[in-house]
Amino acid sequence: MDFTWTEENEAFRARVRDFLDRELPTNWDDIARHGPGSHEQTEFSLEFCPKLAEAGLLVPHWPAQWGGADRPTWEHFIMGEEMWAVGEPRGGQYMNVNWIGPVLMRYGSDAQKAQYLPDMAAGRAIWCQGFSEPGAGSDLASLRTKAIRDGDDYFINGQKIWTSYAGMADTCFLLARTGGADQGRSAIAIFLVPMDTPGIEVRAIPSLIGHGDIHEVFFTDVRVPASCRLGEEGEGWTIISYALANERVGIPRYEMSSQVLDVMVGELKARGAFGNSIVRAKAAEAAAACEAARLLVYRVVDERARGLPPGTAANLARVAVVEADHAVTDFGMDFLPDCFSGDGHLGLLAHHERAIVTGIAAGAAEIQLNLVARRHLDLPKGA
Amino acid sequence: MHLAFNEDQATFATVLAQMLGDEAETGFHPVADWGRFDYGTLLDARLEEAGFYDAAAEPDLGTLSAAAMVYEVAQVPVTVECAASALLRPFLGDDVPRPLAVVVDDAPGGVRFLPQAKALLSITDGAVRLAHLDGQAREVASLFAYPMGEVARDTLDWQTLDVDPATIRTLWQIALAAELSGVLAGGLASVLAHVRERTQFGQALGSFQGVQHRLATDAVWLEGARLLMLKAASSRAPQDASLALAHVQNHATRIGYDLHQFMGAMGLTLEHPLHRWTYRARALRAEMGGAPMAFLDYAEARWRAA
Repeated sequence: MDFTWTEENEAFRARVRDFLDRELPTNWDDIARHGPGSHEQTEFSLEFCPKLAEAGLLVPHWPAQWGGADRPTWEHFIMGEEMWAVGEPRGGQYMNVNWIGPVLMRYGSDAQKAQYLPDMAAGRAIWCQGFSEPGAGSDLASLRTKAIRDGDDYFINGQKIWTSYAGMADTCFLLARTGGADQGRSAIAIFLVPMDTPGIEVRAIPSLIGHGDIHEVFFTDVRVPASCRLGEEGEGWTIISYALANERVGIPRYEMSSQVLDVMVGELKARGAFGNSIVRAKAAEAAAACEAARLLVYRVVDERARGLPPGTAANLARVAVVEADHAVTDFGMDFLPDCFSGDGHLGLLAHHERAIVTGIAAGAAEIQLNLVARRHLDLPKGA
Repeated sequence: MHLAFNEDQATFATVLAQMLGDEAETGFHPVADWGRFDYGTLLDARLEEAGFYDAAAEPDLGTLSAAAMVYEVAQVPVTVECAASALLRPFLGDDVPRPLAVVVDDAPGGVRFLPQAKALLSITDGAVRLAHLDGQAREVASLFAYPMGEVARDTLDWQTLDVDPATIRTLWQIALAAELSGVLAGGLASVLAHVRERTQFGQALGSFQGVQHRLATDAVWLEGARLLMLKAASSRAPQDASLALAHVQNHATRIGYDLHQFMGAMGLTLEHPLHRWTYRARALRAEMGGAPMAFLDYAEARWRAA
């Protein structure tokens, strides 16, 4: 058991940091202020990701066939840590790298791979995920957006909500129902829908988590060719389960939290307030939550790196990551409340907006607790 | 980064698991006269004879295996003096007897394992001292599920050991983190077995979401604590050790409360083993000043020069 990084890992991290030092502009904090889904940050990602790709740092863990370099799983995670630590300059393109690309490689047709993977690997593609609906959040399988087969096409009607990146996305990774509600998960399919298809309307939802981050997306008689379907009809739930297994620990949120905690401590020291033992102990308590989350996530990555099948580690990790994010922003609110008003502090504000969504985005923490209870603790399912 | 045991560590863990699986030696047996603990004399002897307490000094096993052993041994209902023997004694020089009782910063009151101990170890910032015991200690009644004892410390013949006090203090933090994590994991396993079987309102207690979420949260805390402890055992860095101890001590109170809550009235009896874990946890969560002091240690190590 070895909790240290190899020299190769350290060199890779240093390379990523060098790249960030070189490529992030002096006004990056202003750009990053409103979150990865904001218009400003999404626009920036379209300049930044091609440079990242050119440097061989966007998809190094992907197979060489699709623009990667077959690099180890750990390097992918180191990249994620470094990117999230500075506020995720890849914007929504982190999703392409983490799970949309790998899902297409596994389930996509040759034509779909050829159409989408090169742009993702080049850093030119913005995707959104059409999962949640007004009546289908945590209970995703109850979704009602319908895709009705009509010859060689599908007609799609319905509504998605809380959709990040939809305002500037080229393509939607859409879940829709191809059969009746009584058919449950077995009648769900995935469609790769160009967002400029007639009948799609996107409305931004003003929110606490950044400008232009979440949206409603309406599909009204949207006609797409059957070739847009990913996998078979009825295979959607299998595909999405694979995708969510990647997404659960896809964002190394503890890294930004840990670094913001250092910023908070630095500010408290500058004010002469860190000598208070209560403040110091509470800072350490938040740090403990971050480091516990870090190790739980590392265990997930380690299992992947060793080729083990997905277990319950990701469910445990996801809950811990939520606790870590909240612990750090709560520490800031307790001891540096003035940083959240007026000119404030951009780093703390940006972290707060990312942290408050942690337990909701990509699946509610309570769903993870259900899974921990049933799969990890072997507790019986409720009546 | 590789989070699996090496071959020797895996073998060590397998053999240890076989030994701990012997219910006759490690399982729960009520103790007469309202006894709160059951010292595992047979288990202790077997661990010693098989050389388990020397693992930390073995290059292919090291403090990682020793800490993992403390964690596993703490999960059984019987109590043995394992933590100090496994994680301190190999670094104290020759001729240090065991079982070993430990007192830090001359904390007052009863000392765990003192009635069984062949020596008392005192850790302060300035020195690590050892006093051999030969019947001077007396057992005292206690709420805790440990044999607790007292001795007139100023009458003992103390010998200062040629070791670095800071190193020994760090190792003791790791040992306590391992024992407390293990004790709580043992208690959790006991409660899980109960809520899977016990039915109320026509369904198993463990099927209610109100129960599931609290036990699942406890499991998240404990698994995080176990990994922090293993990392600390691997690095032996003071910062890692204080964080591991702080984290598990910080959550021990809430986990202990949940364990008793879901075991119900049965968990309040001495006929049920739950107290063997929760009342070890109550003692351990206050060791070395408890979570607040361990958090302050960590803050000092991480941010002193920031």
